[in-house]
Amino acid sequence: MPDPRVALLLSLADDELVIGHRHSEWTGWAPHLEEDLAFSSIAQDEIAHARLLYELAEPLMGKGADELALGRGPDDYRHAVICERSNGDWGYTVARQYLYDTADDVRLDALEGSSFKELADAVRTIRLEERYHLEHARLWFGRLAQGPMQAREKLARGLEQAIPEAMAIFEALPEDGELLEAGVQPRSSEELLGVWLERLGADLESVSLDYVLTRHSPVGDLVPTSSGEADTGPTLEVPGVERRDGRWVHVGGFAGAGGRRGKHTADFTALWEEMTGLYRAMPGATW
Amino acid sequence: MVTSTRTVEDRVLEALTAVMDPEIPTCSIVDLGMVERIEVTDAGIDVELLPTFIGCPAKDVIGEDAERAVTAAADGASVRVGPPKPVVVPLLSRSGIACPYCGSGDTAMESAFGPTPCRAAHFCRSCRNAFEGFKEK
Repeated sequence: MPDPRVALLLSLADDELVIGHRHSEWTGWAPHLEEDLAFSSIAQDEIAHARLLYELAEPLMGKGADELALGRGPDDYRHAVICERSNGDWGYTVARQYLYDTADDVRLDALEGSSFKELADAVRTIRLEERYHLEHARLWFGRLAQGPMQAREKLARGLEQAIPEAMAIFEALPEDGELLEAGVQPRSSEELLGVWLERLGADLESVSLDYVLTRHSPVGDLVPTSSGEADTGPTLEVPGVERRDGRWVHVGGFAGAGGRRGKHTADFTALWEEMTGLYRAMPGATW
Repeated sequence: MVTSTRTVEDRVLEALTAVMDPEIPTCSIVDLGMVERIEVTDAGIDVELLPTFIGCPAKDVIGEDAERAVTAAADGASVRVGPPKPVVVPLLSRSGIACPYCGSGDTAMESAFGPTPCRAAHFCRSCRNAFEGFKEK
């Protein structure tokens, strides 16, 4: 029976590594120099957080952090699909960073109370740095939402595209029950999703963009895992979000779910090939 | 012996004061608040350093430099960087820090993201110069 803490650590670390890799793609290409630096710096932080979390998994798995980060096949990664999506335009980039970092904040807040002491300690350190990412996300969310019409429309389109998959950050791990019972995960994934949706709904209402919550982009292009298993089950459902008693709640379904079980998209295949290219060419190389 | 222990610690701290951050060569790692612990026991001297940011790319080099400096000053010392832990590194505050050019306090943090993870970009409204400051943590 594998230690359920491994699944949690890998899902957290893989999220940070993969989104960090995407952020790093803005280096040299962002709309202006400050943003070039901001995304490069956020990427550096996220990848360092991933390393810290892989290091916690090292003794549980008997594998080194580099091997965990770069030595697995694409369907052994446990990140949410939202993290692997191509950067798209600035509207999608801002929407995704805002959604990811606010969701990350909700789960890290809960994990500070984890019974897994090393993880709780790591999370407290990580959050000291994450608050700069949150500030950056909120600044750009507000700037585009209240900016010229074109900026507002691009943000709205980015949010419509990203929200369904961002909800799947809270897709329950198969190990959720065990982790809850052991107090490793103090609150269930569904409960955390509820907290996040309520905050997201309030933020969107404050800039009159809450209509994006009930609009959904078509969901698709999840590729079968290498085992050939094609997933056509409930994971491809359009997520249900409703406003009840003055707040936004999840009523079922996830789009682009399956990331926590190793199902990813063609976007990840390309990212994985680049990210692991050097490691695969020269396994065990040291700098 | 209390007196001799004290002397070794002093020597170690003095050696660490001469270790500069390779990315900010005018700042010593002592000024940066990175020296978490110096412990002198019968078994040897244990020095623990904390990185300013988890992703600090200079921490390996800093660890090696510190090890060299400390072993030259006192035999049997070992230096360890991290693991990072929740700690308030006494870095400078985020806005209103004195401008290094004109001394004015009418400054603002323009962006939290500077040339390294631990540095932010500031701007002086008085003399209109840009300058850098450490991030508060």
